Amino acid sequence: MPSWIEIKDISKRIDDFQLGPVSLSIEPGTITALVGNNGSGKSTLLKILMNLANADSGEIRVLDKPVAGEDESWKRHVTFQPQNAIGWNAYTGEALKRLIAPLYSKWDDRLFERMIKLFEIPLNQRYGKMSPGMQQKLSLSLALPRNTDILILDEPTASLDIPSKNLFTELLVEWMEQEDRAIIITTHQADDLRKLADYLFLMRNGKAAGHYEKDELATSYRRYWLSAMPAEMLPGELSRSGNELISADSDATEQYLLDQGIETIDDKSLELEEIISLLLK
Amino acid sequence: MLPIRLSKDSREPIYHQIEKQLKALIAGGHLPAGTPLPSIRALSKDLEISVITIRRAYQDLESQGFIETLHGKGTFVKEVQNAMKQETMTASVRAEFERAIQNAMDYDYTVDEIKEVFAETLNRLGKGE
Repeated sequence: MPSWIEIKDISKRIDDFQLGPVSLSIEPGTITALVGNNGSGKSTLLKILMNLANADSGEIRVLDKPVAGEDESWKRHVTFQPQNAIGWNAYTGEALKRLIAPLYSKWDDRLFERMIKLFEIPLNQRYGKMSPGMQQKLSLSLALPRNTDILILDEPTASLDIPSKNLFTELLVEWMEQEDRAIIITTHQADDLRKLADYLFLMRNGKAAGHYEKDELATSYRRYWLSAMPAEMLPGELSRSGNELISADSDATEQYLLDQGIETIDDKSLELEEIISLLLK
Repeated sequence: MLPIRLSKDSREPIYHQIEKQLKALIAGGHLPAGTPLPSIRALSKDLEISVITIRRAYQDLESQGFIETLHGKGTFVKEVQNAMKQETMTASVRAEFERAIQNAMDYDYTVDEIKEVFAETLNRLGKGE
């Protein structure tokens, strides 16, 4: 299947910060999580993707159209929810809906009404007067019903309480099932990664720190307790402390242990958060 | 939600664990023919596994005749031949015994000790305890 989003060698310099070059492609039917420390360049990358900022070099194509080109028809197929909606403060939820809904041919009013009810959003209140959590709930209720092919969410769950987060997960899963769709989500929430992500794209200081299928990443890392720790570095070794070893390539490590006749006292997989912390260190 | 329990510490690939447990549920009659299965995306969320892995498990089960996907309707349990049910059950039971015996051997149990544990356990469970 051809990819829906093709990010190729994008780079941009902002003062002392250098983004990229970054490349990434997104296929339909998948959820990709952008993960990185604060200031790693995730939001900048998304802004360039939405043509809200220019890249110094490289190209992004969405549904085979260059995003920086004259033809902006691709935008009707993409929903972008930034961390802060600009220009919404003076409008009530009701007014925002009247502005947004007509722009999208597949707008689903029933889903909108359902989300308003589930999240208990006061539609007559001005956006600027709402709590951060309520603003996020309203933004999501104005994003999902657009039913665009591509949905891009920049930290959509940061201010949500636990029940709302669970509800958001359910709604997103349901949304993904309707037809071929793709989601890019930036998040610091381990739960979002575990329950939603298929792929993880890691960023560190503006650079790509890896693009992984979630389960492959989880199985390649392993922690071992060895009967004896060899003096030399082991294949796949990431860190050691005493007789405890963390490997980023369990197959290679185990082959070595077998060849050397070193006994493993115990071994265990690592939690996804722990692997991510190691990769972003 | 399906009663599937994955062991992330196990060396057995995740897709294989899903396949094995679904087969056991089908062969054991817990999921009769026609039962709708969760969508790939929904199961991915429940088990906290990517859709790539779930799709692989579903494709394997489909090619082995345990489930079928009807376009636009979803995935359903197929009518499984009794012979196949029997075969699946036998394989599943054998695999469990192998695992238990392997575990005992790892702890340096002798054959007689293993037999003793087996007889004891059978006796205890047989009494319905």
